Parts: sequence; C-alpha cells; structure tokens
Amino acid sequence: MAQREREEIFKDLLSILNDLLEDWEYSGEITMETSMMNDLEFESIDAVALGEALEMHYQQTLPFAEFLTDLGERGIKDFFVSDLVEFLHRNVEKKT
Amino acid sequence: MNSFGKNTVLIGLDGGSFTILDRMMDNGTMPYLKSMVESSARGELLSVIPPLTPPGWTSMITGRSPGYHGITNFMQRREPDSQLLNMISSRDLACETLYSIVNHHGKRAGSLNFPAMSPAPQIDGYVLPGWVSWRWLRRNSHPKGLLDRLKQIPELDLKTLAVKFEEEGKAVVGCEQGEYDEWIRLHIRREDQWFRVLTYLMKTDPCDLTTVVFDGVDRLQHLCWRFLDPAYIPETLSSWEQHVLDLCHEYYRNLDRFISEIVALAGSEATILIASDHGFADSVEILYINTWLEQEGLLRWKSGVDRTDEYINDSGPNMTLNAIDWEHTKAYASTLSSNGIFIQVAGKPGLNGVPPEEYEDFRQKLIAALRERCVDPATGEPLITNIWTREVAFEGPRMPLAPDLTLALRDSGFISIRAADTYLQPRETVFGTHAPEGIFIAMGPEIQQGVSLPKLSILDVAPTILHSLDLPIPEDLEGKVPEDLFEPAFMRSHPVRYGEPTRPVSYAWSTHLSPEEQSPASEADDEEEVMIRLRALGYIE
Repeated sequence: MAQREREEIFKDLLSILNDLLEDWEYSGEITMETSMMNDLEFESIDAVALGEALEMHYQQTLPFAEFLTDLGERGIKDFFVSDLVEFLHRNVEKKT
Repeated sequence: MNSFGKNTVLIGLDGGSFTILDRMMDNGTMPYLKSMVESSARGELLSVIPPLTPPGWTSMITGRSPGYHGITNFMQRREPDSQLLNMISSRDLACETLYSIVNHHGKRAGSLNFPAMSPAPQIDGYVLPGWVSWRWLRRNSHPKGLLDRLKQIPELDLKTLAVKFEEEGKAVVGCEQGEYDEWIRLHIRREDQWFRVLTYLMKTDPCDLTTVVFDGVDRLQHLCWRFLDPAYIPETLSSWEQHVLDLCHEYYRNLDRFISEIVALAGSEATILIASDHGFADSVEILYINTWLEQEGLLRWKSGVDRTDEYINDSGPNMTLNAIDWEHTKAYASTLSSNGIFIQVAGKPGLNGVPPEEYEDFRQKLIAALRERCVDPATGEPLITNIWTREVAFEGPRMPLAPDLTLALRDSGFISIRAADTYLQPRETVFGTHAPEGIFIAMGPEIQQGVSLPKLSILDVAPTILHSLDLPIPEDLEGKVPEDLFEPAFMRSHPVRYGEPTRPVSYAWSTHLSPEEQSPASEADDEEEVMIRLRALGYIE
C-alpha cells in the first residue's frame, strides 16, 4: 500500500483543525507538538468526530476507534498532532 | 408550502411521556399544551425495540425500522465481526429520510437537533444536527453559512446549544445534590437556544416540513424522575427537593411556551405534530449483565485487569470491551443503552467462541438460561421479562450489526456492562428510564379534535407527515396513516396515496451486504442526483 507522506498528512490535518477554529478561542499555532486535549481542549467526543472527518477526507475507513482504545489501554489520556500524523501515515492509502 | 398552502411542523420531545405531561397539564404547568390537546388527536406512540433515542428518531423520520435504516444505538459496530464500537453518524443511515423524500416533490425541509444527522445531509432546506460537540457544528451543518446566519440571533451561544457529553452522562449516572441546580438550568438554557434557532429559521427560511427535537425532556426525566412521577414525590419536601421540583416545573413551563409560540408561528393552517421517540418509566435496580454472563462461565475478563477499575468503567464501552478476554468469552454486552447481548461466534482469526454450526443451539440455551437463572436472588423472580432475537427486533439488511439478543428488564431499566460483585443491585435512588410508550399529539384544520387514538407505531409518523403535506407515501414505508386521525371529509377528498418506493442511498459501511442489498449511488437518476448524494455522504465538497 502506497502511503501518504507525513508532511502531506499534516497539511490535511491543519486544514480540518483550522476549519474548526473559526468558532473557537484557540489562537495558537498548531504544530506537531500541539496536544489535542490540553492545548486544543478536545473532549473525547471531539476526537471521535475528528476520526469521522478524517475518514470523509480520505474517503476510506480508518481504525480510529482502535487508535483511541489503544491510547486508553496504555493509560494515555491525551495525544499529539504527531500521534495522529503517525496513525494516518500507517493507515491512509495514497490514492494514485 | 404544500398544495393547500400549509406546512407541517414536527415538535419532538425526546422521551416525552403522558405519565409526566398529563401531570404537568393538570397542575397548571403546561396550560397551552392542555388547551392544545383538547382540540387535538392524541395517542400513545410505540417505539422501536429497544426504545432508544437514535433508532427511535431515525425510525420516525425514515418510516423504516432499525434493521433497515441501520441506526441501532448511540455507538454500534461497523462490521458484524468487529467488537469495538463507533459513534453513529449520518453515514450509518441506510434509508432515505423524510427530508429528501419531500425534496423530491419540490418541498423544503428543516431538521434541528436530530441524532444521526451529522455530518449533515445536503438537503434542500437546513440541518443543524444533534449529538454534536459545539466545535463541530459549523463543519457538520448544512447549508454552508448556516452558522453565520444563526449568529445574527441575539444571545445565541453555540456552547450552550450543543450537547455537552460530560453533562449528559449525569442524567443516567447521577450527580451530587449541589449540581442539580446548574444541571437543570443548563437544559432550560439549551432548550431556549434551540427555540431561538427554530423560530429564527421559521421566520427567515420557512420550510414545508419543519422538525425539531427538544431533548432536555429525556435528560430531566432520567435524573429527576423522583421529582416528576407522582408515585415518588414525597408528601413533605425538603427545601432542596422543593427547589429541584420548582426548577423542573420551570423547564416544562418554558417548553409549554415554546410549543405555544411555535404553533402560532406556524399559522392556523399548519399541521402540528408533537411526538416522542420513546416513553419513560421508573428504574429501581441495575442488572450487571456481564457479571451474570461471567458467573455463567460465558464471559471472562482479561487476567491482570481490575474489572472494577473506575478508569476502565468510566472511559466508554470500548475500554470495557478491551478488558474482555476474547479467547474465553462466548457472550457479552457492549453498551448499556442497547440492552443487547452479542454472541461471540468463532471464525475471526485468533478468537474462539461459539462454532457457527452451534450458534442457534447456543442462542436457545442462552435464552433459556436468561429466563431461568437471571433472577432476583432474594425472591427468585425473573429479572428479564422479554427476549427478542435480532431476527425479530432488527429484521432487515442491517440486522448483522445488531445484538443477537435484546432484553426487556422487569423494571424497564437499562443493563450495565460494568463488572460488579453481584449481578443485581438496587439503585440508591429511583431513576427514570426508557419505556416503549411515547406520545403522539396532532392538531390542524384537517385533524379530528378531541380524538383518543389507539396505540400507534413510531413508523406511522412518517406516512402521516407525508399525507399532511398531500404527498404520496413511498410503498416501502412500514407504517400507515392512522385511521380516525384526519377528518373524514378530508380523507374522502384526499385519500391516502401510495407512490414509488424510497430511493436507495449509499452509505459508508455497507461492505457486509450482498451486492443486491447495496445501493450504489450510480443507481441515481442522473448525474446531478449522483452529485447530490455524494455531497450528502461528504465524498465531495
């Protein structure tokens, strides 16, 4: 499976997250080190909705529930943009 | 507007029950509703199995049962052999809604606060979905720019309007006494926000079919049942109890005003329907069904996992499911709301379970065990009053996603999927829980006045709405227009018409269906229709 480049994925994520920020107080720059819960103040339901948006963006199903459950199982209650980029890098098939 | 120059408004009261509403009408809290009912037709509305919000509302706006429209729960499987659950979305919806049906006839529709409407389908009209965090409202609403228009509404606050999931949980797990005041006020404010949005859109963007759900009814009745059901209200109230009761009455008083103003805004020629997705009853105990299955030797938790760990139990059903030892589990429950038991069928690599050829025998034995051994330890009384197989409860192409068994409990309550020391525990205080008998009230120039209708099905609402708009009813809708609802003269001049079946919709998770059962977008009439559906699915901008 051809995989998308991390940089390309990061741009995709920025596009979606910036779309959300229109109604949001967050004014900082989103980087790979930005955390979803602490910095962006995501709630768990926001993370679920993000998975939905990513699936629609990439037009494929993604094991996002498994991703979140795996984090939970390891006791990780927050995750970073870089975690998402790695997840997507592993799972998003590049359309050629 | 319809051919009579009129429109139809559906006011949804999530969990609306005559048990409570009759009391509110009788004690003067809802005077408008009382007068309205006197000039209306009313009856009980039987929900789907189990009586639950997402499948209930979706059945109401599709006229199809959950096995067909595919919305079975708040969270559900995407594939029959998966264990983890995903939040439902509009992409799980496998049937046409009333909104697109009326669109086909050149009529516009509006949808406010319905579940399974996010991301919003691209209808001719507007959709502001329910069960969406405020952060996602802009992206998941329709049409583009809707939120900017709504921001012209004085005092609109998206954070108040949108569901707050951490607060909703208190409806079913409870909260401290000191939290009741703000929690109830939050729901009073939220309904006011939806009312502002609804009336703004009715004035500035009128539709032939306008639909809205007020969902605080459900929340209040869950947490505050002991203040609402006369059977539980103490004769002498503490000051705190009196305060909570007063706040509950304030909520219903506001709701009454909203209904009054919506009806006035709709106009004297409009058809007004008030309906609920399910009714309400009292729950006094908790059945920890996974603990019962564990005691039966059918479920095992992973070794090394503290099965009563609060983090596991409080982090959603997927964390609980992840604590199950799948190698040694044959049956389990995955969500409290479904009251469902899944049978783990062997076949998925690395998993044991019930061999496929033994499935039916295993299921019958499990049903027998549930009836005979899932009993009150103190009295021996069965805790389960009904068991439906999924062939009965979820007949249709989406049945493979549904639980193998669905249970009705003796106190109407929900199961718990948590691990516990004993499988039956009394609640510390009575809670409200869902019951099958919801409400149906109809008013309009063509509606009979003062009629008490026999029990209706929630599936009857969609055909009734279409008939009120003088539209043909797709032949594949499962309900019917209730007899005696419309005036006889109207029925003679406007007999119920049936028409072409609903149009197929594509949806995201259809891979388990046979090619004949799938409905590719390519079946659409023309390229424009294909584009509309692809947009509706979010595949194109």
